[in-house]
Amino acid sequence: MGKKICIFIAIFYVFAFDNFSLAQFQEEGNFEKINIKANISFEYFNRTISWDDECKSSLKSYFLTLSPEYKTQGGFSLKPILGYSISNFDSLIFKKLPLSTELEVGGINGFILGGEIQKDFFSIQDFMIGVQSQFIYYIGLEKEWEIPGLAVEGTVKGRPSWMRFFIGPVITYDAFDYFSPYISVNYNKLWGTFSLEESIQELEGKEDKKISGMSKLSIALGGSFELLKSFLIKSEACFMPYKDGIDFGIKVRVLYEF
Amino acid sequence: MKKRKIIFLISISCLIFFTISFKNFRFDKCRRPSLYNSQPKIQSSNERLPFHIKRQQYSSNHILVKFNPHLSDETIQATIAAYQAKKTKRIPRLNIFKIEVPEAMTVEEILYAMSVNPNVVYAEPDYIAYIAITPNDILFKYQYSLYNSGESIDIPGSPRGKARADIKATEGWEETRGEENVIIAIIDTGVDLEHPDLESKIYSSGYDFANDDDDATDDNGHGTQVAGIAAAETNNTEGIAGVAWNCKILPLKAMDENGEGYYDWIIQAIIWAVENGADVINLSAGGEEESIALEEAVRYAFQKDVVVVCAGGNDTGPVLYPAAYDDYCMAVAATDYNDNRTGWSNFGPEIDVAAPGEWIISCVPTWFWVPDSPFPYDYGSGTSMSTPHVSGLAALLKSLKPWLTNSEIMSIIKYTADDVNSNEHPGLDDFIGYGRINMEKALVPIKITG
Repeated sequence: MGKKICIFIAIFYVFAFDNFSLAQFQEEGNFEKINIKANISFEYFNRTISWDDECKSSLKSYFLTLSPEYKTQGGFSLKPILGYSISNFDSLIFKKLPLSTELEVGGINGFILGGEIQKDFFSIQDFMIGVQSQFIYYIGLEKEWEIPGLAVEGTVKGRPSWMRFFIGPVITYDAFDYFSPYISVNYNKLWGTFSLEESIQELEGKEDKKISGMSKLSIALGGSFELLKSFLIKSEACFMPYKDGIDFGIKVRVLYEF
Repeated sequence: MKKRKIIFLISISCLIFFTISFKNFRFDKCRRPSLYNSQPKIQSSNERLPFHIKRQQYSSNHILVKFNPHLSDETIQATIAAYQAKKTKRIPRLNIFKIEVPEAMTVEEILYAMSVNPNVVYAEPDYIAYIAITPNDILFKYQYSLYNSGESIDIPGSPRGKARADIKATEGWEETRGEENVIIAIIDTGVDLEHPDLESKIYSSGYDFANDDDDATDDNGHGTQVAGIAAAETNNTEGIAGVAWNCKILPLKAMDENGEGYYDWIIQAIIWAVENGADVINLSAGGEEESIALEEAVRYAFQKDVVVVCAGGNDTGPVLYPAAYDDYCMAVAATDYNDNRTGWSNFGPEIDVAAPGEWIISCVPTWFWVPDSPFPYDYGSGTSMSTPHVSGLAALLKSLKPWLTNSEIMSIIKYTADDVNSNEHPGLDDFIGYGRINMEKALVPIKITG
């Protein structure tokens, strides 16, 4: 499943770059029509994750990203993403290690890499219909913890990672001068791995815990506020329903247009 | 053929030479220095103990001999015949022969003669091991070893138990109560196969090596007690709880009705247990004499991925064999209801862990049932009682994580033990090893906070 998604994402981005470069750049004079914006974005989400097919816990993540945004006159934007995150995997239990452990270690720092594309397709009256897609990859930094209460010294070393991909239509209402509300409904998938290595004297073991977000759907409500001519703030609330509940996230983005 | 003749002649010459020259030799002279010099004599200093191991040390009518592995059966037969001896049994896998001592020779004489024969790897007496407990008063109250509430344990003259001076069984059972396919071999005096708290737990009727038949019924009582602690039927509104609720018991009788057994019975039982699917071997017995054959047997079990758990002994002396074979066995010491080491528990660097062994209630055979008592249960003390607590935990670990090796299971049990004597002997020590076992830490995920 993960491989298929990665292949899909790769094809999607190749297609996007292809579209971006060929359709826009090859037309003479279009290069000058590209807008470049600097984005600073803060995002928080709290998602219910499942692992070992039956267990549930939560993944809370805070991340700050920086990204330049390239937007053509044709309504196509491309945004590479780079950032820093603190992700908190609550109560992951590792039972395949020689000595079972339950991790409640709080936030683990890591880097965020990814990209986002958006394409406006057409407008109906004051509504602009488009599509957006984002892929981000959190690479957690390795961290070591001591196992308490043993007769000898023992440690576990953890390295988490997760990926998030969403894609879906965006409907933006453009009738206001300085405020553009929007709604988007996305296929939103979160998956990842938490690798834990245990070492207690000669006892050694490693367990990779596959995690997966319970919700596969997100509904985002947001708006962009144009504070100055080249200065925008976008904020968004995101709801991710699943069988037994609903997860949520928020995003605040500051954009400066050059 | 020529080679066989030469071997035969050499054997005859050796026999005649040593029989004449060493008619009056002392047995301790015939011991191989490397094997015996470092072994101190065990002293029975604690007279209040329920059993003492100063009894007959080895069989007077047979010995154990291992021949060079490349010898053919004919050569082995010829060598045995050269001593006018008779082979009575061959222990499979280890290729050890049980040989009857000829009438004209003593055990010491034939051992010495054999030990200098180049065809013989080693020859040793068939030592006698003894069980570590004799049941005493019938008194059913509760099992402080599994959950110590701190209430009086209702034993005349005993203080109140210290709350939670136990192996944290109730917490461990939250994680697992064992699997039916995990088998604990109880190598002991047999098991009462009809005991109401055990009959449904018997994997097979096992084998009786003491009487060489397939009826491993307990005619002493010790083995039934041990089996009950390890894996009595639990949550059945009857009797006691076993450590490993759902694991099965494989009874192997290697001790006679007096609680004594030749090493060869134990060796055969170990091999039999391994060959018949045991995951854990509980040996609440031991002898004070070192034996290469016994060491080979426990090594064989270890190499076959079986956890071998043995009683350290109750003489305030060195650790008994095979518990002292540190590379292959877990040696268990005894603690009491206050988490103190019992005064009689043997000690030495071979001790790995401890478990409650003072006044432990368990099953006794139904024939042992005292009419005044409403139940076939009784108290017992000794490292014999401590050992099945550890065996039960080993079986639970095997149930929970079948991919673990025996070596990993042994390490987990050791490293998760509570160092209950840390005030006097912090860390690993000769008295309780790593400490009193803790089922919660061994089985339940340990919480790691940031």
